[in-house]
Amino acid sequence: MKRASPILVVEDNDEDFDMLQMTFQRESIPNPLYRCTEGEEALEFLHQTGRYADPEKAPWPGLILLDLNLAGLDGRQVLEHVKNDPRLKSIPVLVFSTSGNPKDVQSAYAHGASGYLLKPVDLPRFERMIRLFKDFWLDHIVLPEGEGTRR
Amino acid sequence: MRTDAAGPGQAVDLTNCDKEPIHIPGGIQPHGVLLVLQEPTLTIRQVSENAQVLLGVPAQALLGTALEALLPTSQADSVRASLLSERLADNNPLKLSLQAHGQERFFNGIAHRHKGRLILELEPATEQEALPFFGFYHQARGSMSRLRDARDLRALCEEAVREVRRLTGFDRVIIYRFDADWNGQVLAEDRVEKADPYLGLHFPASDIPRQARELYTLNWLRIIPTVDYVPARMLGLPEEAALGPLDMSFCVLRSVSPIHLEYLHNMGAFASMSISLLEQGRLWGLISCTHVSGPKYVPYEVRTACEFVGEFMSSFLSTKEGQEDYDQRLRTRSVQARLLERMTRNLDFAEGLCHPPPELLELTGASGAAVYFNGKTTIVGAAPSDEQLQSLIRWLGERPEQREVFTTTFLSRDYPEAEGFKDVAAGLIAAPMSRGRHNYVLWFRPEVVQTVEWGGNPNKPVDLRDDQLRLHPRKSFALWQETVRGKSLPWKDYEVEAAEELRRNIIDIVLQRSEELLKLNTELERSNVELDSFAYAAGHDLKEPLRGIHNYTSLVLREEGGGLNPTNQKRMDTVVRLTQRMESLINSLLHYSQVGRTELSLRETDLNEVLSSVLELMKPRIDEAQVEVRVPSPLPPARCDRVRMAEVFTNLLTNAIKYNDKEKRWVEIGSASTPDGATAYYVRDNGIGIKPEYHDTVFRIFKRLHGRDKFGGGTGTGLTIVKRLIERHNGRIWLESQPGVGTTFFFTLGGEQTEPVATEDGT
Repeated sequence: MKRASPILVVEDNDEDFDMLQMTFQRESIPNPLYRCTEGEEALEFLHQTGRYADPEKAPWPGLILLDLNLAGLDGRQVLEHVKNDPRLKSIPVLVFSTSGNPKDVQSAYAHGASGYLLKPVDLPRFERMIRLFKDFWLDHIVLPEGEGTRR
Repeated sequence: MRTDAAGPGQAVDLTNCDKEPIHIPGGIQPHGVLLVLQEPTLTIRQVSENAQVLLGVPAQALLGTALEALLPTSQADSVRASLLSERLADNNPLKLSLQAHGQERFFNGIAHRHKGRLILELEPATEQEALPFFGFYHQARGSMSRLRDARDLRALCEEAVREVRRLTGFDRVIIYRFDADWNGQVLAEDRVEKADPYLGLHFPASDIPRQARELYTLNWLRIIPTVDYVPARMLGLPEEAALGPLDMSFCVLRSVSPIHLEYLHNMGAFASMSISLLEQGRLWGLISCTHVSGPKYVPYEVRTACEFVGEFMSSFLSTKEGQEDYDQRLRTRSVQARLLERMTRNLDFAEGLCHPPPELLELTGASGAAVYFNGKTTIVGAAPSDEQLQSLIRWLGERPEQREVFTTTFLSRDYPEAEGFKDVAAGLIAAPMSRGRHNYVLWFRPEVVQTVEWGGNPNKPVDLRDDQLRLHPRKSFALWQETVRGKSLPWKDYEVEAAEELRRNIIDIVLQRSEELLKLNTELERSNVELDSFAYAAGHDLKEPLRGIHNYTSLVLREEGGGLNPTNQKRMDTVVRLTQRMESLINSLLHYSQVGRTELSLRETDLNEVLSSVLELMKPRIDEAQVEVRVPSPLPPARCDRVRMAEVFTNLLTNAIKYNDKEKRWVEIGSASTPDGATAYYVRDNGIGIKPEYHDTVFRIFKRLHGRDKFGGGTGTGLTIVKRLIERHNGRIWLESQPGVGTTFFFTLGGEQTEPVATEDGT
């Protein structure tokens, strides 16, 4: 059986991450979740530098769930960075945001986001969204394998 | 017309006036004798036929003889010396005494040279009537200083008529001023009781024909001692005929036109005298004297004094007139300043111009005005109707050189349609305030006929007395009326200048305003962008904790649901419900903030298609509420943004369905015409209705009229958004409602955009 790809979650809100974790468990999603709370941190994770100099701590993610509004370097910049880096580029990035601002949506796709998920204020809807996410992205989509290309 | 054949009372044709050669009448007035002499022999070559009567020698006998034959030897040498001198006029009058009919007679000899001829006019005089020099000097000095001290033009004129009447004893002395078209008005008058008053009356230009005016410019003074004279013909040596008729332009005795005599006769005058008033070489007016008691002869010295008054007065005309205008100009200036102040203070400068109304009129002495600015017209005083104004403005806009102030006193000559409103606007000053856009300040003056003072009963234009047609002021007035029909009083220079100045001020203000507006707009745009991102950020930051509260509460409820006591269970349910409401408020606020920001895509749209797609989408709700939807007739198309219009219909229909407590509910969508001809769309229901006091407040954001959970609840942004969408289409939304019966929302969609908005197809 294929090993489930790690998922990197870039999220500064503890409650949102908590809910995400709980729902992942509830839905029995096997993929390991890794969390960064800041943009800078996410880049360190992806490049295995700084705090993540130990490669064991930062495996190559098969998918990134990215919140847009972050302290410091924000999600938009992280997205831009990932999509401008030839090695990181192939990782699908799903924006996971509260903002329904058409400009944000537009720019996310323009910068290469693979999807845009609007965080709902409604538990059942949230759970349904995660279920659908699992069905689509984790059960049916073939995610890129990054190990070999990594330094 | 041959003067010698024409006598007083003869039928005359007024149309011939301009062509009559009045400087070569071939005859003279018979109260003197005219001689044409050859220099240096002083041979008499022409003489008037009345020589026999006044000199006692038949005219024929004088022809060919030397002048000395007439004179006593004692005078011959001095007269010859005077007549042959270069400065002939300095010796006027020559005091002559001749032996006629056996007695000594005194004559004043007035000599001048003209076109190579030496002309000597002899007027009978008495030794006594010659004023002693010092007497004249004192009189003249007094009157000169009074003229000089006159405060303004009016005072100058009043002083002059009094002076001339005092000098001459005529029954009536008036000052008559010409306008630009040679019509005249009486400015001042001094008269005896029995002479009719002429003050303020107008006379048509035809009263004094062109060639008469030319002679008035050459000569300072004319006199007709009796209007009933029979002209004395000129006789001459045969060889004189080859030299052509005698040009009498400078002769005192020149016989006048029979038409003029007829005119005087009709006025009831027996004698007349007129003195020219010139300003910078142009005939300005006349001091006109008439005698109604009988013939009147004015001796040479007195005439000279009068001439002097005329010349002296002429020299003061421009300064005194300036004096008069000076006060006016000063007043205009203060009006100007007040208008400017009000325009700057008032946001709507047209409003500042027109309130209070009299000042805009006072500025140019107009009786009406209209300010036409960006499609809005403000009227002050008497003005043409709206429709007439619109076409006048269109006409003005099509004129070349429309950047300058345009003035006319005869609008219908340039713009024939003005004939229809000449009673308010025969005179026009039009000050254009911008290029391209046709914005104007217009000032009007009525046809002048209405402003004339009547000199008698205007309903009795012809006065028949003693079977004779008398040309009275009334008749003359009627003539004048004919000449000036369709014209207004002239605009004075300072009035036109005031209009030009005001125009400059307005342009400055408008320019300044538009600069301020541009700055404000940039500022607004920035703050809008900031507000926009603020709204999203605020929305985000509010939603984040909200989501936490919601989710955790939901989890607790799910996991511990059974274990909570009923009160706490209810409380936790409430927390969940409150978070949901808060979320929808945040969403509405975000949506509203977006309505004004996104660009509209305007195009000709079939609203029936829009409506049917809206109805399709709303079908479940409509079915659920069992609402009957009526569209009695197809909606006319409009230029609009179809997505936004769908939102408008959705919101209005949702409201119509929601606020309805009737058994059988219906909604009607249709169109109607507004009183000003625009198309209004409406959405009508038979719902609960809205009390009149809420008709405005329903559009206010977050304003709800009902309890939160009544009628399906709502955030109170729907109508606010609709209103904003309609306003972005330059339309208007309003409602009619009867509580308990139903409500109709009307809206229009403005045709004209204030700023061009690109459409999708780029047209």
